[in-house]
Amino acid sequence: MRHLTIFKFIFLISFLTLVIEITAEGQSQTAVEAKSILVKHCSMCHGSNQSSGLDLRESQTLLKGGLRGPAVIPGKSSESLLFQVLTGVGKLKMPPNNQLLSPNEIETIRLWIDEESSWKEPSLAKKEKLWWAFRKPLRPKVPNVNNSSWIKNPIDAFVLARLTEKKLTPAPPANKQTLVRRAYFDLLGLPPTPEQVEQFLLDTSPHAFSRLIDKLLKSPHYGERWGRHWLDVVRYADTGGFETDMYFRNAWRYRDYVVKSFNDDKPYDRFLQEQIAGDELWPDNLDLENIYTLSQKKLEHLEAKIGTGLYTLGPEVHESNMDSEKLLNEKLTDAVDITGAAFMGLTMGCARCHDHKFDPLSQRDYYSLQAIFAESKEVLTPLSAGMAIADHKQFYPLVIAADEVRKSFRAFEKKAQERIIKLKKKEFPFDVVTAYEIPEEKQTPSQQALAKPLKILIDSILAKTPEGQEKFNKELSIEEKREKQKLLVALGKAILEIPEKDAQGKNFDGIMEVRTASVLGHIDPELIPKIYVLNRGDLGKQNQLVHPSLPKALAQDIELNEILPKSSHRRSRKRLALWLSRTDHPLTSRVMINRIWLWHFGRGIVGTPNDFGRKGERPSHEKLLNWLATEFVSSGWSIKSMHRMIMLSNTYQMSSQVFEPLYAKIDPENRYLWRMNRRRLEGEALWDSMHSVAGTLNLNMGGRAVTPPLSPDEFSALSGNGPYKWHVSSDLADHRRRGIYILVRRNFTYPMFEAFDNPDNSVSCPKREVTTVTPQVLWFMNHQQSLNQAQEFAKRLLKGNNTPSKWIEKGWYLALGRLPTKQEKNESLLLLQAFEKKEIKAENWLNLASANNSIPLSKAVALTKFCLSLFNLSEFMYVD
Amino acid sequence: MSFTGCNNHIEVHSRREFLEKSGFGLGAMALAHLLDKDKIFAQKRSIASLNPLTAKVSHFPAKAKSIIYLFMQGGPSQVDTFDPKPMLAKYDGHPLPPSMHLEKGINLQNIQANRAKLMQSPFSFSRYGKSGLAISELFHKLGNHADDLAVIRSCYHDLFIHGPALNMMYSGSNLNGHPSIGSWVLYGLGSETDNLPAFMAMTEGIVGTRSRKSFRSGFLPAIYQGTLLRSEGSPIMNLSPPVQIDQNDQRVLLNQVNQWNQRHMDTRQDDTRLAARISNYELAFRMQTAAPELMDISREPRHVRRSYGIGENPTDEFGRMCLLGRRMVERGVRFVQLISTDWDGHAECETNHRTNGAKVDKPIAALLSDLKQRGLLESTLVVSVGEFGRTPMVQGVRGRDHHPYGFSAWMAGGGIQGGKVIGSTDDIGFHSVEDKVHAHDLHATMLTLLGLDHEKLTYFYQGRDRRLTDVGGNNNLAERLIRA
Repeated sequence: MRHLTIFKFIFLISFLTLVIEITAEGQSQTAVEAKSILVKHCSMCHGSNQSSGLDLRESQTLLKGGLRGPAVIPGKSSESLLFQVLTGVGKLKMPPNNQLLSPNEIETIRLWIDEESSWKEPSLAKKEKLWWAFRKPLRPKVPNVNNSSWIKNPIDAFVLARLTEKKLTPAPPANKQTLVRRAYFDLLGLPPTPEQVEQFLLDTSPHAFSRLIDKLLKSPHYGERWGRHWLDVVRYADTGGFETDMYFRNAWRYRDYVVKSFNDDKPYDRFLQEQIAGDELWPDNLDLENIYTLSQKKLEHLEAKIGTGLYTLGPEVHESNMDSEKLLNEKLTDAVDITGAAFMGLTMGCARCHDHKFDPLSQRDYYSLQAIFAESKEVLTPLSAGMAIADHKQFYPLVIAADEVRKSFRAFEKKAQERIIKLKKKEFPFDVVTAYEIPEEKQTPSQQALAKPLKILIDSILAKTPEGQEKFNKELSIEEKREKQKLLVALGKAILEIPEKDAQGKNFDGIMEVRTASVLGHIDPELIPKIYVLNRGDLGKQNQLVHPSLPKALAQDIELNEILPKSSHRRSRKRLALWLSRTDHPLTSRVMINRIWLWHFGRGIVGTPNDFGRKGERPSHEKLLNWLATEFVSSGWSIKSMHRMIMLSNTYQMSSQVFEPLYAKIDPENRYLWRMNRRRLEGEALWDSMHSVAGTLNLNMGGRAVTPPLSPDEFSALSGNGPYKWHVSSDLADHRRRGIYILVRRNFTYPMFEAFDNPDNSVSCPKREVTTVTPQVLWFMNHQQSLNQAQEFAKRLLKGNNTPSKWIEKGWYLALGRLPTKQEKNESLLLLQAFEKKEIKAENWLNLASANNSIPLSKAVALTKFCLSLFNLSEFMYVD
Repeated sequence: MSFTGCNNHIEVHSRREFLEKSGFGLGAMALAHLLDKDKIFAQKRSIASLNPLTAKVSHFPAKAKSIIYLFMQGGPSQVDTFDPKPMLAKYDGHPLPPSMHLEKGINLQNIQANRAKLMQSPFSFSRYGKSGLAISELFHKLGNHADDLAVIRSCYHDLFIHGPALNMMYSGSNLNGHPSIGSWVLYGLGSETDNLPAFMAMTEGIVGTRSRKSFRSGFLPAIYQGTLLRSEGSPIMNLSPPVQIDQNDQRVLLNQVNQWNQRHMDTRQDDTRLAARISNYELAFRMQTAAPELMDISREPRHVRRSYGIGENPTDEFGRMCLLGRRMVERGVRFVQLISTDWDGHAECETNHRTNGAKVDKPIAALLSDLKQRGLLESTLVVSVGEFGRTPMVQGVRGRDHHPYGFSAWMAGGGIQGGKVIGSTDDIGFHSVEDKVHAHDLHATMLTLLGLDHEKLTYFYQGRDRRLTDVGGNNNLAERLIRA
């Protein structure tokens, strides 16, 4: 990316860039120099300290002046107090103590004051008209092109027009076998089964592909695939990261909300509105419907609210004595950054410290956006009807009952420990015991040494480890043992008696927890924290107070009052959402359609999907992007209809092969789309594929994140104690769920996903890296999971098939969506033979034993190794 | 605007990007092979310069080739290690003088700095070597290397809790997601080994969240991520095949997989990732031998192992790490990170520091001797620091709190002229006052000694060219370190 940008700026529009940089600053060279002179000599006193009320750092504050009046009168240096003071014309002479400015410096200041243009209100808005992404997209005319037989829909016309400009021609179409695999991975993230491939191959109608797309878009697994893309953009995780990596017990409801939204083809404007302001736009006053089942309307409102969960699952700095002001600042920074990146495709971070150097965002805009979010806080919203919650309350005594048994058990434990310690002390000399009884922090080193053996003994009995428990048990008397057993049984029973489901049979969230979601709600008006512009982003340096408002330059055309009366101060997220989802917003539709394009092609029309500003890449097909953006809006923001349109184009259906070596030289990155891009599957898609091919994939949807077991090596890579543990899901079927449901911990990426470039989730990830590194190879070659799935795969092949040649054909078809060639089949047969051994350690292969009784174990083992080989093929991991 | 001119650049750029994202340790051989096959992109340009991990030319002549970063996690107390403060003994038990009170807005983690009482160091300091460098008894063995050490007593930043402070010392930013210094070094200089990862990290005990921060590549391509070398179990994750697959099976599997992958690639010549995958299989296979060979310290002479304190308590663990550190550097590993994890002496600073000092002093001293004896010290920069220091004031009865405003680091080797002290803190070791060295300055210095210009080593990410040293950093220190 870096090279690209450098390349672009230097070689393509270097001249233009230079001009823009100066105008973007809105200052002349003189102004820049003059300001730096003032900063150097004067800002110690007339900076944030504002000696005699004067701040000399900004043009605006100079005009405002201090106690002695304005410091500058534009165009009139001789009448300006600043100039008089610097030259010592009047009584006052500055800087003090004769540290005067040099004549050259004073001359620069004079020139600056006299340069009237420097003092006009910087009209950022006006200049931003220049940049393509800040103008509303106009629907361009579809170009007329020669090779019209290639044109299936307007997308092709735009692409072909651009190719022709570059003297390129489009690649031939991909064959049907390639196409069906491409479509399955693209829309579902799953490989097609041999039957599904056959079905498509046999459908010779010209509408075959269109039918396939419709079928795939109807699959509920589509939402899992595309929802996962969105989760990257919004830095989704189930935990907060940093030191404590706190667990967000409700984050998964937002994840399920995203999956459902994609499956429902929720219009994107609504999807955006819900996430930013679902609670404000669909306020919930329907609680009075005193019934068990929630009305459809109420469910919709709740769903909209859950969308705001986006703002409750960001990185969470949580450490002892973290300043609460700093915490709030971090949260608001995250809120603004994620809003900018995800919905506007802008990097907001720069404006935290200074006016954005390249985009029309002032520091003030940035903090005004923070002020929008400062009115809100995270709240838990119950997801059950009032009656169900009331029902739930009647069971609360069962929780008390469990709590009481727990207390009894603790009391018993303490009593027994005391008895044992007393007994142990008797085994030691008096002085040891005396030393031991002195509180540890008051012991002298020699007392400490003396007490040590007793301390070690007692600590070992009290240790909460399995060994400690065992030691403790050994010391118990027969009566105590009986008592302990009784209490443990009572404790277990009391906990098991707590109901797990509500009256409608819906599971509670864990032990006696009513179903809830973490969403945004409001802070009492009088408690809303004040937000200031922070000098260089430093909390200690507060400048002006700001109020919630939309970015000035970007929203300049919008009459804010037209959206909301100003008085409804506390609903400013609503205002933000409505502004962003306007059909004529310059960024929203373009940014999202570019993402959709990127997830289909592996490259966006704008190569920097989270940066549509000046530092980002320019679109490779600006007209196409504008056309798609307007089309997206007029389709009612329907993402599914965009899929249909894109996938039905010839552009999408091209082969990925390099058919003309010269083209790879002219356009190696395939910016102009003269062929399809080959793509490596993501971690989740590889995980899903492997399980799908092995026939083990559990396609259950939604719910709390699952945690498959870790290998001992992986487990030891986790931090040692307490909540850091990885609690393996008790239901074995949960170990085979789709990758999207595996716990996303910010501090510990599931190791396989880590090897395959899953994002780090601290900030928005618009596009995953694709690295090719050895840990990936080591995983597929050596990880027990890989071998386990190879065994399951082999078992699947053995079922109902008895000849090696059938195993090979089916295996090849399942894994790669095609039959082996004759040569590959022969090589496979030889490979099976090479793998087959006379002596097999049966205890290593217990899982295989039951697969097919008529097949000797040695053959089943060889087949397993063959299946493992298939998992290691590039063809398995890449989609043409 | 000449388009052909541009095209050359697109081509090189894109090729470089492909390669940057391809196989770690793609050796020059594998790469030559790869490019040879790749007719479309045949370039006159030097092949080696296109491999992201081939040793690269530094910005200016380097003093050191590799770094061993000895990290004392938890925060060792400066006044108990390398920064003697007799005034503390004099005013032991007195409150902090009002002239030193902290301004509003400057925080410590647990104690009220302006009310807390000063506590003298329980450790005695001696002068060592010709230079007479003063070092506490905790590091008396290291004292024998005084004339090789440059102690910096004026380190500082302003992050007083572990997470952000560790991020700062490991990656130059208080936030998560920034590349560690090892990743930056690898990005700037590439690798000199074909069989091992060029950036490796080891830590005492279980690898905690804190240690994991030390080898992340953050926003740099994953190829620059450090590899965690584990002292127990398999040294690298998934390094050896499962029990059911023997070496012979694996070779058979690899041969066939290679053949099929090769054939798959033959019709997809343009895609260098596919070639990288194939060479990764070979590197992985080589690593299966090279990594255990590296780890096998039983081949070291007994006296060498003993000098590191291996086989005895409490030096065994850190001793192994230090010896492995030397073995890594010897095998061309560029950046070695060794982490001692437990210096957080809140409750009992003396006991904590005695325990930890005893664990690391002997191994570190042996490492310096060993490197020197093998002529490796000249080309290896050894740096030791923690994420911050500790308060000269007491926390509780005998503890010390976190303290980022003045703490010590030391460096040796890598062209440094030893036996010197740089910078100082005030009379009680509270604030760094003279020749202040910010974390960014320390990083800038380390890069400089490796021949890298910290202002030129940039990577474009999220709207701007990022640096290890952010917008700070000053490498003046480097000049002073190498001057006699």
